[in-house]
This record gives sequence, structure tokens and C-alpha cells, in this order.
Amino acid sequence: MAEPGVDVVIVGAGAAGAALAWSLAETRLRIVCLEQGGWMDPSRYPSTGRDWEMRAFGDFALSPNSRGRPEDYPVNDSGSPIRISNFNAVGGSTILYAAHFPRLHPSDFRVRSLDGVAEDWPLDYARLAPYYDLNAEMTGVAGLAGDPAYPPKPVPLPPVPLGVLGDTLARGFDRLGWHWWPSDSAIATREHRGRPPCINLGPCILGCAQGAKGSADVTYWPAALRAGVELRTRCRVREILVREDGMAGGVVYVDPEGVTRRQPAEIVVLACNGVGTPRLLLHSTSRHFPDGLANRSGLVGRNLMFHPYAMVTGFFEDPLGGYKGPTGCCIMSQEFYETDPARGFVRGYTFETLRGMGPVSTALLGLASGRVPWGEDHHRAYAELFDRSAGMVVISEDLPDPENRVTLDPELRDGDGIPAPRIEYRLSENSRRMLAHAVERAKEVLEAAGARSTAAEPLLSLAGWHLMGTARMGRDPERSVVNEWGRCHDVRNLFVADGSLFVTAGGVNPTNTIQALALYIADAMKKRLGNLFD
Amino acid sequence: MGDASEAALSPAEVRALACVLDLLVPRSADGRLPGAGELGLVAAIEAALRDAPGLRPAVHLGLAALAERARERGAEGFDALPAAERRAALDAIAAAQPAFVPGLVFHTYVAYYRHDRVLLGLGLEPRPPHPLGYALEPGDFSRLEKVRRRGRLYRD
Repeated sequence: MAEPGVDVVIVGAGAAGAALAWSLAETRLRIVCLEQGGWMDPSRYPSTGRDWEMRAFGDFALSPNSRGRPEDYPVNDSGSPIRISNFNAVGGSTILYAAHFPRLHPSDFRVRSLDGVAEDWPLDYARLAPYYDLNAEMTGVAGLAGDPAYPPKPVPLPPVPLGVLGDTLARGFDRLGWHWWPSDSAIATREHRGRPPCINLGPCILGCAQGAKGSADVTYWPAALRAGVELRTRCRVREILVREDGMAGGVVYVDPEGVTRRQPAEIVVLACNGVGTPRLLLHSTSRHFPDGLANRSGLVGRNLMFHPYAMVTGFFEDPLGGYKGPTGCCIMSQEFYETDPARGFVRGYTFETLRGMGPVSTALLGLASGRVPWGEDHHRAYAELFDRSAGMVVISEDLPDPENRVTLDPELRDGDGIPAPRIEYRLSENSRRMLAHAVERAKEVLEAAGARSTAAEPLLSLAGWHLMGTARMGRDPERSVVNEWGRCHDVRNLFVADGSLFVTAGGVNPTNTIQALALYIADAMKKRLGNLFD
Repeated sequence: MGDASEAALSPAEVRALACVLDLLVPRSADGRLPGAGELGLVAAIEAALRDAPGLRPAVHLGLAALAERARERGAEGFDALPAAERRAALDAIAAAQPAFVPGLVFHTYVAYYRHDRVLLGLGLEPRPPHPLGYALEPGDFSRLEKVRRRGRLYRD
């Protein structure tokens, strides 16, 4: 069944699709976005109910394999020590993200030139800076200007409160003379563009019932819809159509009633994240592209990068108030972000401090770690943990490796019969060294802050939040999938605008960069509308 | 949802389970926090068992083994054992039936730390985070001056 043709079809209504749709809307082109999930209802988010902590193990679990909502697709990630986390809805994974919203550093775009590894990006920080600025305003970034770890940048909203926990950890960094700064956070700390201010609910990673968190469903989508973009939810795209001339002809999707439909389009934009986009490209085979669409380089799905995470928790004597306030947004440190060869690895990492846990999570994680036994000693052990622990995560830069990749699973399929993605990934020796270095430094900080003991998890397995590199950008069609403004080398009316584009990963959360890239790509398209396919 | 009839506990099992729960999470020494059994969490555990079919047989078998051990000691049931003997009995059965206690502890912790009396005992308000939220101290940003003085840390 064929729908009337449109100018642009965007696949995916997450961080990137939302920003790109909003930016393109001013062209008055007919734009349709297809999203396999639906609209979330914030009044039903976990923090509105007494069972809020347990829903992190159920319908708000990070892993689609655990969550198993109808709109989720399974992922075979058994071949990776890091498991995939995502969310499928209008707003995509920003529904569950912690809203930590840093930018990449200027050096992140020049890793080959500066450090002799991986490849340089085909654009630099200065090129992206205006789009970071625009994104900060649209999303509402809270923080504090003047961070010496970055070039000067606008920060529209005041920082999230530090609380006792943040103040305590900041003292630790100060005592060591190390960098720290309030985190750039996609959180409305005061009313911003009609969004109410944050009231420190805590579990941002279970959706924000207050609407203060800058998830894409409450930032870009309302404006994009007002501007005329059509968003069709619960529509899962099966494949991208290829015309006789080798150009993209639109998409085939399954509608909410299970009916397969064709959506012809002049331009196709993929914004399905670093796993969903290569999955769709690899599944879109044709006479022109027998190995997957836009895959003449053989790089679609390759160079998958995560941010390998470690976590170190400090246990303190006094209450920290850690169950209050944005879970993942407090303070961060980039003391070890830039390369120092003396450390035994290249590139670097960011420390991000975490707030504490709720009462149930404290008990269950204490049970799992053996720190909270049942029996006579239970209350003493629990009291040592609850409201007296503070975590620091290490977000380390991954380097691209073509053997780390997304392919199509030969057996596993989603609810519509579409092959599921399969992940093959191994942790590099550089990452191992970096994480080991970071864990020791984190212990030093926590001890300097007054922790009486620490516990480390050297690699978080359920931390495959950041999915990057699988359709990377570049000027050389042999070494990249898309050009420097997001257009596929092989298909001149097919664009990618998500984390797949990343040439390297940096050592920070990617959402701000993903959205800045989407805005930049939309601008590049608008500037070339007359000769977009030349 | 599992089959409720399979999970239903007999009155004797309910009494025994309440004693087990008090062993898993006993009353705190200062009396501020109640024991899990005295809180009446058996109903919550039964509800959890209905949704955890894998755990139900282990709980039934574990409670049966506790009852048998009590009878060997001349007691009518586990709850009739002298309090001092209950822990040893539970330890023995836990060792013999490794599937019995861990799942029970998990569900006990979940129910216990959501209960109003426990939350109040911990100094927390028994409510969800939304819509009231929490007040949070802004923090001391003045010490960032020291960080600023270090100057630029990034590379171009």
C-alpha cells in the first residue's frame, strides 16, 4: 500500500530526528517522521508511584531485551561485554538518558593529527560550535560558564544544585588540585521554553515526570509539529527503497495495525542511532547494493564505539542526601581528558559523579554485592550504605576498530519479522589501561573527599548507552559512509544524522554532539536545496 | 501472571514464612525498624510468588523442610520452635536447598523498603518522588575560583 509521496522522510524521532525535523521544517518541505515507538505519558512515569525503583527492572529497564515492550526490537549482544541500552519512543533514548550534556573538546575532532590514532573528523569544533549553542538554547542547558576545560561557551541556565553529595566530592577534587566543574545538564533549572523547573525528583533515568529534563519529546518535537512536520508513531521501518537509478525512493514500513506500507520520498534521513541505522542499511539490499545500502566501503556497521564505563563508589560516615537531585548530573572532572603519554594510554576520560540510590535499590545492590546480608547484621550493614554512598563513573574514550561491529542476526527477529542486530565487540587494550588508571584515580578522589572505603566495578556491562561510529563521516568514500555533511557517498539523497556519524567517540556523553550534528546537517541541506543531489 | 493456586500458602506456611521473614530482616536493635514478618509482608511475598513461578516450588519446598525439621525437634511447626533454634534451622535448610533463601530475600527487601513504617524509620517521607520533589542545597561554587586559576586545560 503506497502513501502519497513526501519530500523528506525521517526514520526515528529521537534526539537527532527531532532536531533535524525541527530545523528542516522552516523550508516548508513536506516532512514525515516515522517512529516505531509511541508518545510517552509523563504522568505515568515511575517517579509518580511508590513502585518507582522496581520499574527500572521492568518496563523502564535499560536493555530492550529485558524491557520487551512491543515497540522494542531485540538485540543479540551476547558477543559483547557491554550490553546495548536504548529506548524506543518519541524522544528515543533521551527518555531514559541522565541528561548529562557536555560537548566534545576541540581536540576530539583531531585525534589523528594530535595523537596519531584513529582518524580526524571532516569538520572541527569551530564548525559545530554554533549548533552546540543553538542546541543549548533549544534544549535548555544548565551549568556554569567559564569552565577552563572548554573554549568559552554560552550556558543558558543556572547549574543544578550540588547538594551535600556534590559539595563533598568537590572537596575531594580540590584537595588533590584536580579539575572539577558543575556538569552541563539538559535540565531546566528554571522555567525554560514552557518547561517547568526541575524539582530534584531523582530518577531522571526513568523519564522525567516533571518535564524539566530536556528529552527530545518536550524540546524539539512540540516546535517541529507546530511548524508542520508530520510524525507517525508506532510505525516501524522495514527497509529503504532503492530506485532503478540507484537513488533512495522512500521506505517500507509496518503501521500500527500491522499493515505494510510504502512511503515514497525524495530524501531519506536515517536517525535510528548507532545500532538501528546500520541495521536498516544492512537490511536494505538490492541489485545496486547487494551488501547493504550505501555500503560500497564495507564500513556500514563497522567501527562500533561505546564509551566503556567503570564505576567507583565511596562509602561515607555522614548522610549525603544522595537520593535527591538529578541522578547523573552533579559535578564532573576532566583532569584526565587530554592525552598524556606518561599514563600509558592515548586519549582520556571524564569523571561524572552520581547521586545516591533509593531505599530499595540500596538494599538490592547491597544484596548483590554482598554488602547487605540478611539476618542479625542486616540493619547495621544497610545503614552504612543508605544515603552514605556516592558514585563516580568513568566515561572513557573508545577508539574505532573495524572488528567491533553491528551485523544482522541470522535467526533473531523483531515482532515484525525484521532481522535483529547482532553486536560483536571487544574491549581494546588502550581502553583497559585507561579504565584501570581511572579507577585508581577515582578511589583517590573519594578518599580525599572523606570516604571510609571504596568499591570498584572495573567495567559496567549494562552501559551500552552511547552507540557510535557505524556509518562514519569523512571525505574519502573508501574510508567513510557519509560525507562531511551527512550525505551518503553512495546514495546522494540518503542522509544519516545520528551517533553512527561519529569518527571518534570522545570521552563525554554524545547526545549534545548528536543533536548539534543533526542541526548542522539540516543547515547544510537547507543551504544546498537547489543542488542537493549534485 | 502465574497460577494463584500454586502460590497459595497454607495457614501453617503463612505462620512459618512470617517467622522466616523476621529472621531475614529482624527488628532493629533500637526498635526503630520493624522486622519483616511483624510488618505483615507475607501477603506481599505471596503476591510476588504469583509472578515468579520459578521461585514458588523452592519456597514451598523450603517451608516444608523447615516444618519437618521443627517436627524432628518436637515442635508443631517452624513458628513453634524456640526463637533461638530458628536461625540454625533456617541456615541448615538454606544450605541444603540453595534456591530457597536468595529469591525470598530479594522479594523481602523489595517489599520491606517500600513499606511506610520502614521509610519513616529511615527518616524518609513515604511518598513517590513526584509531584513534591525535594529541596536540595545549591552548593558552594566559590571554590571554583581555584579551578579557574589553573587556566586553560583543553587542546585545540
